[in-house]
Amino acid sequence: MFRAALKGMAARKARLALTSLAVVLGSAFIAAALVLTASIQATVDELNAESFAGSDVLVQPVAPESRGDSLVQQGVSAETLAAVEGTAGVERVGITVAGAINAIGDNGKVVGGLSPTMAANWADEAHDRELREGRGPEGDGEVAVSAKFADDAGLGLGESVTAYSQTTGQTAYEIVGVYGYPGGRDSLGGATEIAFTTAEAQRLVFDGDDAYSALAVHAADGTDADDLAAALEPVVGSESQVRTWEDYNAEATAQSAELTGLVGNFLLGFGLIAVFVSVFLIANTFSIVIAGRLKEIATMRAIGAGRSQVVRSILAEALILGAIAAVVGTAVGIAGGAGLTAAIANSFLDAGQVSLAVPVSAVIAALAVGIGVTVLAALVPAVRASKVPPVEAMRAAVKADRPITVITVVGTIVTLAGGAAMALGLTHNLGGDKAALAGTAVGAGLVFVGVTMLTAWLSKPLVGALGRLWSWNFAGKLGRRNAARNPRRTAVTASALMIGVTLVTATATLLTSVKASIEDYFGEAVKAELFVTGPAVSELPASFDPAVMDDIRAIDDVDAAVEIYYDIADIDGTEQYVNTTTDFGGIIDLFSGEFAEGGTGELADDEIAVNQSAADQLGVGIGDAVAAEFTRGTEAHEFTVAAILVDNENTDGWYVAPVYADEFYTVKPMMALVDVSDGADIDAVTAAVDDALAGEPEVSAQNHEAFVAEVTVFFDFAIIAIQLLLGLAMIVAVIGVVNTLILSVLERTRELGMLRAIGMTRGQTVRMVIVESVTIALFGAVLGIAVGLGLGWALQNALADSGVDVFAVPTALIAGYLAAAVLVGLLAAIAPATRAAKTNILGAIAYE
Amino acid sequence: MPLSTPPAPQSVQQSRGLQQRSRAAVTATGLWRAYGSGEAQVVALRDVSVAFASGQFTAIMGPSGSGKSTLMHCLAGLDTTDRGSVDIGGTVITGLGDKALTKLRRDKIGFIFQQFNLLPTLTAEENILLPASIAGAKADPAWISQIIRTLDLQERLSHKPTELSGGQQQRVACARALATRPEVVFADEPTGNLDTRSSGEVLRFLRKSVDDFGQTIVMVTHDPSAAAYADRVVFLADGQIVRDLDRPTADSVIDTMRGFENRVPLAGEAA
Ligand SMILES: Nc1ncnc2c1ncn2[C@@H]1O[C@H](COP(=O)(O)OP(=O)(O)O)[C@@H](O)[C@H]1O
Ligand SMILES: [Mg+2]
Repeated sequence: MFRAALKGMAARKARLALTSLAVVLGSAFIAAALVLTASIQATVDELNAESFAGSDVLVQPVAPESRGDSLVQQGVSAETLAAVEGTAGVERVGITVAGAINAIGDNGKVVGGLSPTMAANWADEAHDRELREGRGPEGDGEVAVSAKFADDAGLGLGESVTAYSQTTGQTAYEIVGVYGYPGGRDSLGGATEIAFTTAEAQRLVFDGDDAYSALAVHAADGTDADDLAAALEPVVGSESQVRTWEDYNAEATAQSAELTGLVGNFLLGFGLIAVFVSVFLIANTFSIVIAGRLKEIATMRAIGAGRSQVVRSILAEALILGAIAAVVGTAVGIAGGAGLTAAIANSFLDAGQVSLAVPVSAVIAALAVGIGVTVLAALVPAVRASKVPPVEAMRAAVKADRPITVITVVGTIVTLAGGAAMALGLTHNLGGDKAALAGTAVGAGLVFVGVTMLTAWLSKPLVGALGRLWSWNFAGKLGRRNAARNPRRTAVTASALMIGVTLVTATATLLTSVKASIEDYFGEAVKAELFVTGPAVSELPASFDPAVMDDIRAIDDVDAAVEIYYDIADIDGTEQYVNTTTDFGGIIDLFSGEFAEGGTGELADDEIAVNQSAADQLGVGIGDAVAAEFTRGTEAHEFTVAAILVDNENTDGWYVAPVYADEFYTVKPMMALVDVSDGADIDAVTAAVDDALAGEPEVSAQNHEAFVAEVTVFFDFAIIAIQLLLGLAMIVAVIGVVNTLILSVLERTRELGMLRAIGMTRGQTVRMVIVESVTIALFGAVLGIAVGLGLGWALQNALADSGVDVFAVPTALIAGYLAAAVLVGLLAAIAPATRAAKTNILGAIAYE
Repeated sequence: MPLSTPPAPQSVQQSRGLQQRSRAAVTATGLWRAYGSGEAQVVALRDVSVAFASGQFTAIMGPSGSGKSTLMHCLAGLDTTDRGSVDIGGTVITGLGDKALTKLRRDKIGFIFQQFNLLPTLTAEENILLPASIAGAKADPAWISQIIRTLDLQERLSHKPTELSGGQQQRVACARALATRPEVVFADEPTGNLDTRSSGEVLRFLRKSVDDFGQTIVMVTHDPSAAAYADRVVFLADGQIVRDLDRPTADSVIDTMRGFENRVPLAGEAA
């Protein structure tokens, strides 16, 4: 059986090689995903293990209760340190003072952007640091900086660097040393770091308190870490937590595992899609191969081979093909996973050395999926072949295509069911937002599967309509007819592209809609043309000196400029978002806010304003009293509710008079809105405001466009990332189309010979095949775009209540997909068209 | 070199043949064609010289493997020759490139195949217009409708080949062959796949197109009764022309075949 299968396969090398490429891709992605996940995990684990290496027990502050921005750093007190040092079994205690700060680079702006610079004490034992130049800081005015910081800030040995934290003013330090980390690394996971003396680090991080971020306890010889931890527990009390180093490390490992798992799942998703698409492709190829061998199979049956033997011989072929492809795919995947790990480790993690891990599960999964999918996909055509009666297959005549009724009926039912689920979800008839969203998502999935089944039925009208594009040309007309000739085959071939295009179109549509919704929102809701803000995402809130507001107001064409302070305060025992500003009425106006009750005037010192739903939450109304304590405040203040605002995301929260800004965690304003006169040159005003902000390193002026662009930059990345998926689908699609066309050309040899005999040129023959190819590819793309747009629209509608209220079509991308489909068609046509043009006329028409 | 046309016998019927034989539509001179090399070499044509007069219906007969198809393919520019030359309507086609040959076949030659060879994706009418479509030219509508009427295909124009009987398909193929008013129509066993009735229809049409439209036709056949429709029968054996018979009847053809069956051992078989 196997020998026969091998022989048969040798005769169809090219087609099988093409087909197996899809299996190779699927296996490779799965192997790569698993290897990458395991390797990054191993690499990160190794990095984690370096942290506090050598210590036995760690004492760290109890993580503060979540207060939004976790504003005030709590430390382990000096008393606790003394008590720990005095405990029996403690040999030595290493101290760590670490926290986020701002440091200003040579361009006058804060170094780091999205992730802040870390401050550490030079004596810190959390990490080993290796001096490259100079020495460690000895006085409070001296610092050593990490190589990455020196690089990013553009500063070096002997130069001065300005740094400050939330609690300190800007201070200049002399850089006396530049250091790296073990393994020649420039940074810890890409972060910038400055090392101070312990006292200076405490001033920056703990506002001068004699406190510590961590104590690294080294046990005396013979003392067990667990025993020591248990002994330290009562010593430390409730202020801090005690963990053995082992526990600490295990926790860090678990945390990073979550993150690497995310990356791995993303790749696994790609792999599964490749596998899904390759099922179609393999099934198609086997159908084709079997169609070409019906005579052979019939002969086998006629001379006594049983049905199961036919099935087995075909499955044997699938098994061999799947095994070869899976092995190749797994090998490619492992290599790819290793390469990716190295790339990620070196760029993002700055890991220095990479630990490669190839889990057995990765190999098994990739092999099993590759082989399993191939054999499964071959099963249906194999069983079908075995059912062909010997006599029928002996006839040479080409049989009519099998009817597509069953799959059409099933496809229609599935599509309708999906549509119904989507409709229910979208009209909120499923009870609960989660159920509505889930209903819509499941419905969308069903529609997707249903339409995939309907491709054959849809191919007739759609291919015909698409083909009109080529009607000006006779060869094109023939090509179009050929594409419509075998709906089942055309459909399966086009599905490969359709699936990929559906997924990318749906995602791109949703993301574009989200982006458009954000843009729309800013355009409509915010009257101010300019914002003064720091980076959109940052651990440290950006702030600026309110004195610059006068300079900004003095700029020509600036109608109004209002700064805003934020705090998370305790109001009547709940955590609430509080704002203040010197121009309360102005800020509400610029954000298009509205008052439901109460005056629009400025707030008196004992007045407070709040939006409707926050007021409802506390059960207060106009004239009621509330007590508020601000982050830096020492006592609660009594306020009377003076105004209620209509709910509006931009103006929601509590408002108090500006005198309380001093008690806010960030005592400086964090944002300002600038209203520019109508008709003024916004770019010029932006530049002028930026000039006024020259002395403010954390913030800059941005107009709507720039602000929205920054807020939505993530979506741009996401959209680019999903195009990779399309790339994958395209590769698979090319393979599928080549397969189908080669078969068609072989089947139509006599037709081609006749056409050439009666005067069709080689050029016309080539054009005919190209048109067939491009039409099939376009059919897949158009269907995918249509379904993708539909699904994207449904998802957008489902999310409309969450703010995605604008439906936007990614026109440029869709044009790109159509172009990609044409490219797929052209590439796939090369080999079959060449073959068709070379048809030997005599061989084709001479029929005895 | 023996002349392939024997002196025409005097009879009333002769006018039909003689008048139009004055100009040759297709002329082959000293054709040689061999396949393979060394011991396996098969010489399919040995020094064949023959002329087909314009407006005449010629049948080519001979045992299987005698070189009939090869001769036709060489005449039609589908196959290359080793030696000798072919002239179609005043153009020497020997040595022409693929482009020129394709154009020549398109414009000057019509084909009728044993297997009909219609395009299944096209309707009968579209199949008839196929050569013109390929050429990107407009077929003469009066001429096309005349052929269609003659072939009694009016009712079938919008049918796909799968919806037609074999005889109807071959009639469509005949219309296609004549649609561009080619210099010559080559038909390789056009009735080989048809029943007697359908054969008769096709052959009567071929006869009629010669008589009424002055079409030149060269037809390969196994069947003596088919050959009887022709003005002339050329007999091939072993790659050579062995007999040339004018105004054949089924009987005279059978007689002739018997005649050289005695000389050349034959694998006599019917179509
Ligand atoms: N392409 C070819 N390759 C090899 N031999 C061929 C080829 N075509 C024809 N022949 C041989 O040439 C001889 C004449 O063939 P053909 O012209 O087809 O004969 P007929 O049509 O009279 O039956 C036969 O012996 C045949 O086997
Ligand atoms: Mg023959």
